Formats: sequence, C-alpha cells, structure tokens
Amino acid sequence: MMVTPAEEEVDVEVRREDQDNINKFAGLNARLRELREERNLIKQSLERLDDASTELMMSSGGENVMLLIGESFFDTSEEEATAFCEAEVERMTETLESLDEEEASIVEKQAELKKVLYGRFGKSIQLEDK
Amino acid sequence: RVNRFYCVLPRTCVSALLLPERYDFLSPSTSLQRQILLLELLYHTMASEGLDDASPKRTNVEDMSLLSITDGENERGIPVVKFIEDVDAFANSFSPPATAELLIGAYSELHSKFKTFETSLTQKKNNFKLKVPDIEKSLALVKNLQSKKEAGESAITRYNLADNVYGKAEVDTSVGIVNLWLGANVMLEYTYEEAIDFLALNLDNAKTESKIVNEDLAFVRDQIVTSEVSMTRIFNWDVRKKRAEGGEEQKP
Repeated sequence: MMVTPAEEEVDVEVRREDQDNINKFAGLNARLRELREERNLIKQSLERLDDASTELMMSSGGENVMLLIGESFFDTSEEEATAFCEAEVERMTETLESLDEEEASIVEKQAELKKVLYGRFGKSIQLEDK
Repeated sequence: RVNRFYCVLPRTCVSALLLPERYDFLSPSTSLQRQILLLELLYHTMASEGLDDASPKRTNVEDMSLLSITDGENERGIPVVKFIEDVDAFANSFSPPATAELLIGAYSELHSKFKTFETSLTQKKNNFKLKVPDIEKSLALVKNLQSKKEAGESAITRYNLADNVYGKAEVDTSVGIVNLWLGANVMLEYTYEEAIDFLALNLDNAKTESKIVNEDLAFVRDQIVTSEVSMTRIFNWDVRKKRAEGGEEQKP
C-alpha cells in the first residue's frame, strides 16, 4: 500500500457502505483466484483424459486395459474404458463451463464495484492485481 | 532514538503490541510499518514544537477492551469487527479520549487474531478438499463392484500391495460384501447397498461442513479487511489531527 503525497490526498470519509463494498470486492477477488486454480486443475485432467483416449484408440484392444478406480486397477475391455473416459470428459467439460460462467459474473461484479469505489476514493484506493 | 517513543508510550494492556517487531504479522497489503515510521517521524519533528507526546501517557484503559471494537458475533462465535462511522467521535467516546496508538494497537491485536483464525480455517478447508475426492473415489469403486455384481461378472483387479507393487486379485462380486475403513484401526463389513448409502451420507456431510468452513472463511476475511481499513483510517485521522495542531503551533 502506498502513502499518497499530501497534495493528492482526498479527504473522503469511509462510510459503512463503502466498507461493505471493499469487503465484497476482496471476497470476490479471493473467489476468483480459487476459481482460476480449479480451472487449471480441470484443464490438466482433461488433457490427461484426452491422451488416455488417444492411447486407447491406438492400442491393440482386447481385455488388457486397466482402469484406475479409487486406488486399484480393474481389468476392463476397451469399450468400457473408452465409455468411461468419454463420461469423465463430459462431466469435466460441464464443470469447466460452469466455472467459466462464474468467473465471468465475478469479473462483471468487480468491474461495477471498481467504478463505485474509484468514484468515491479516486487515487486513494488500489484495486488492481499486482 | 525514535523507536523509544513506542516502548515508553502506552503502559497499557496493549503496549506489548506496539513493539515494531509485532508488525511483521500484519499482512503485506498493509505496510503499516512504513506508516508507523512516518508517524514516528512526525512525532519527532513535533516534539521540538512542544507537542512532546513522548511522556508516558498513563491512559486509562479499562474502557478499551476488545469488546469496544467488536460488535457481536456470527453463528459460530466469530466476533464481528466494529465499523467506526466517525473516528473522532469514536476516539472521544472513551474516558480519557483514546489515542491513535491505543486504537491501532487494539485493532492490530484483533487483526492478528483473525489472521491466525484464517490460517486454521484454510487448513481445515484444504483437508476437506482432500477428503471429498477420497470419499468420491471409494463411492465410485463400490458402485463399480455393484454394477459388476449385477452383470454377474467378477472383477479382476490390481490392488496396491505396497509402494509401486500391485497384486492381482479376483473379486467375487456375488458375495456383495465390502469392508470400509472407518479410521482408528476400525474396519466394518457392509453390503454393497449399505456401503453406497453410508459413503453417500459421508460425502453429503463432508460437503455441508466444507460449505460452512468456506462461509466462515469468507466472513473472517471480511473482518480482516475491515480491521485493516479501520487501522488506516485511524492512522490518517491522527496524522491530520497532528498536522492541524502542529500547523497552529507553527504560526509565526
């Protein structure tokens, strides 16, 4: 946090609603960071699933495909494994979409709050990501 | 030495907090240390004008407990930080009027308490982040066994015998029994249906608790931000007050 030079000081009092807006903004920021982390994890999983399905398609097939469920491997047929992969991919894509939606709505809310807070405090407040 | 002001100043229950080392606990977003140094400089310059605040102020602190700066609690007993509408009025509401150091000290103490609480809540949250996928995995496994049983097949599995060593096993799914590890060296036998119900219930509970922890975490973060903003406002109020008083004294 910087110390504003005396000439640029804005003598605005912080009201209850300003404090609430600041708190809201901080909360949204924290949630945004979480969302982005989750998103990265899901993207990584999707990549792995993609690699797995490619491998499946290229493999000779038969009964020697093993699926990791929980912490043990189960012998499965190629079709079962492919079906499993596809179901997982679908599930994750859905989650990814909902995360994207949430992220968009958070960014929107933050933009509005920024307008309000910059309007109230001008240079005395710092709202950007370092 | 300029630092001496702080050791000498409030001989109060919050005096221990005003030693500069304490400010390392504050979040990096509030470089209160720099601001406190600025305050020290101001005091130093004004000391020569006769506004010497270095003399020990025996401020009566029975008025200033942490109760004066909290405003009730939430459902799980976490205190709510009191929002100050008017810093001047608030400071004067104590007898004798509270100094900025006292107020900042009190808020700073509350702030660090919240920070520790935030850390423990974050740990709890991360535990749940691990727990929930674990239960989901077990649930998926039992469901898999269930479907194999319905298909009339047995399951051939490689299970984790030891690190990097897997043993091949054939699971007779017609028996329909699983043993669930309940923790504390206790394992209980369940049929597939019972196990699925049990695990689903566990998953629900874990998700609800995790939601509560998240709510509490958001609440605590709000209190942290409020106390940080309050500390800055008190400090700014004090700087302006001193500047105004110093300005009057400095009239040629």
